[in-house]
Amino acid sequence: MRVQLIDKLFLNLRLIEALETIQQSRPATLESFRLALACGFTPLHLATFLHARVKQSFQDRNVILAETGVYGDLAGNLQRATKARPDTTAVIMEWPDLDPRLGVRQLGGWDPKTSGEIVDHTRLSLERIQTFLANLAEQSPVVVCAATLPLPPFSYEPGWQAGHAELQLRSSLALFLTQIAELKNVRIVSTQALARLSPESERLDVKSEINAGFAYSMKHAGAVAELLARLIHSAPPKKGLITDLDDTFWRGILGEVGISGIGWDLNHKAHIHGLYQQFLAALAQRGVLVGVVSKNDPKLVEEAFRDRTDLVAGSASLYPIEAGWGRKSEAVGRVIQAWNIAADSVVFVDDSPLELEEVKSAHPGIETFRFPTNDPAAAWELILQLQDLFGKAAVLAEDRIRLASLRNADEFSRSAGSGPSEDEFLERTEAQVTVETSPQSADARTLELLNKTNQFNLNGRRIEEGEWRRHLSEADTFLLVVSYQDKFGPLGKIAVLTGKVQTGLLKVTSWVMSCRAFARRIEYQCLRLLFEWFGAEEVVLDYQSTPRNGPTTEFLTAIQSGTLALPVRIGRAEFESRCPRLFHTVVRSPQ
Amino acid sequence: MNDPDAKLIRCFQAVFPDLKPEQIPQASAETVSAWDSVTMINLLNLIAEEFGVEVDWENFQELTSYAAIRDMVAAHQG
Repeated sequence: MRVQLIDKLFLNLRLIEALETIQQSRPATLESFRLALACGFTPLHLATFLHARVKQSFQDRNVILAETGVYGDLAGNLQRATKARPDTTAVIMEWPDLDPRLGVRQLGGWDPKTSGEIVDHTRLSLERIQTFLANLAEQSPVVVCAATLPLPPFSYEPGWQAGHAELQLRSSLALFLTQIAELKNVRIVSTQALARLSPESERLDVKSEINAGFAYSMKHAGAVAELLARLIHSAPPKKGLITDLDDTFWRGILGEVGISGIGWDLNHKAHIHGLYQQFLAALAQRGVLVGVVSKNDPKLVEEAFRDRTDLVAGSASLYPIEAGWGRKSEAVGRVIQAWNIAADSVVFVDDSPLELEEVKSAHPGIETFRFPTNDPAAAWELILQLQDLFGKAAVLAEDRIRLASLRNADEFSRSAGSGPSEDEFLERTEAQVTVETSPQSADARTLELLNKTNQFNLNGRRIEEGEWRRHLSEADTFLLVVSYQDKFGPLGKIAVLTGKVQTGLLKVTSWVMSCRAFARRIEYQCLRLLFEWFGAEEVVLDYQSTPRNGPTTEFLTAIQSGTLALPVRIGRAEFESRCPRLFHTVVRSPQ
Repeated sequence: MNDPDAKLIRCFQAVFPDLKPEQIPQASAETVSAWDSVTMINLLNLIAEEFGVEVDWENFQELTSYAAIRDMVAAHQG
């Protein structure tokens, strides 16, 4: 099922369609995305597929593919790519790049006596490549696909026996990949994912390699291109998963079999449900919001979560739990509202096709999956598919506190909605805003905020990693990375503002704030700090309306007394006259 | 697209985007500056995929014009 899904995306793309995709012209006014391809062979249709696939990913860019290739000189090609300063480099390394005798195009000898020499030479080549790759990764992202082709029969063992030399080669390669994976900016194609798309026995095209110097079969070229393209740019991960309970989260109908009758382990012949729970608990630990919508007696569900202490994913991992007899689409709507995220960031899993259809028709953006209760293999495939939808490059500090901060935000809202006036309430929250201004503070979370935030987003513009690094390295760039905490708990990094310092004014090119931080006047504090810290008399905001940035529009409209003229210019006096009282303690880092 | 000529012209256009469709039947390695060994290999792989023929690597250096490639495809298709 999983392979078929990816097939639909790209692997069935014919070469002619890839070529025609590349040729489709785009407005010259679009920004460019410069992709370098570094390998030790002439990449032929691998380059074609990669170019087409990356172009499909970047609909708002002119994608330029620069092949920094001199045949047989991967190390040199990495150096050339470093000098060319591309936005991203795709590196494809095959065994012959490490020792030409590990290919089929060189007649360097497979004498058993030389196998030790091949191992040593491979190790040296890897060290050399690692040095150049590290230099390249210092300046821009690098994606790597390594040693996908089978080894030739250079050693004396039969094909079914892993020889000592082969194991040494694979060990050296594994060490190399482990070390480069630790470098900032380097991402590596999963060998497991590649094996699913392109079985090893179908990768090498000996005829093409001998005659044209290109060893990849058409299918393998498509698979490598697909996975590299996904590493270069893929859809943002989903943010929330809503699960049904009966015959999904656990096996059995709670209302029929009772609390002791539901199961999720081998003894109940329900182990796949245990694996699903384990996966959901892991998602929650990674910062994914996991909620429950179930047609059930709410009291019984509460008791089940309280009394069944053997649950793999307990109520601490789940928020909110919506149990009742109403329509599931309505309950799903309430969960999405509690999370304050868009429906298209959410996945709904249920064993009933009817319920899935009902939810989908009410929330068209939501992605729905049927839990195949009686088919463990299909359920396992579903888990793998969910892993791809929710997978991310790193788990950040903010991910670990997301669920807690959401619960805190809920408490914050309830507290704000009752009792004292808004000013009195905010004054009592003991809010602290910490602002980092050095470009070094721009970590993975900063870019994630810029590219994932929708509602408070100045213009919806997404920024690629290479472009972001260039922006930060420019002398006239300013940056505010804002973290927030109050007596209800920390929210972590919740806002980013950046732009250019110009004479007498600041030009803000990007400004995002997490929806978890709304209603705390942090947006006013951010503007106030711009005026105060940079001594600007005017702030010019590169605002553009998007289908989702209503909260930004609302805020700017309020500052500009009801009329939003483009470009949005806010003078110091105008801001001061409209800024409400602010109660945050502000900490600047570095001082 | 069932017309073999139209299909072949589409292949040529994909590999030589600067050629106009009416120029393609006269195209050859001598008249098209972009026709080098790499584009030749690309073109033959493309034709192999589109027409379901196997690339004749032994004799591919003789396939240096649209007419020659058209004849090769026709021969393969019987």
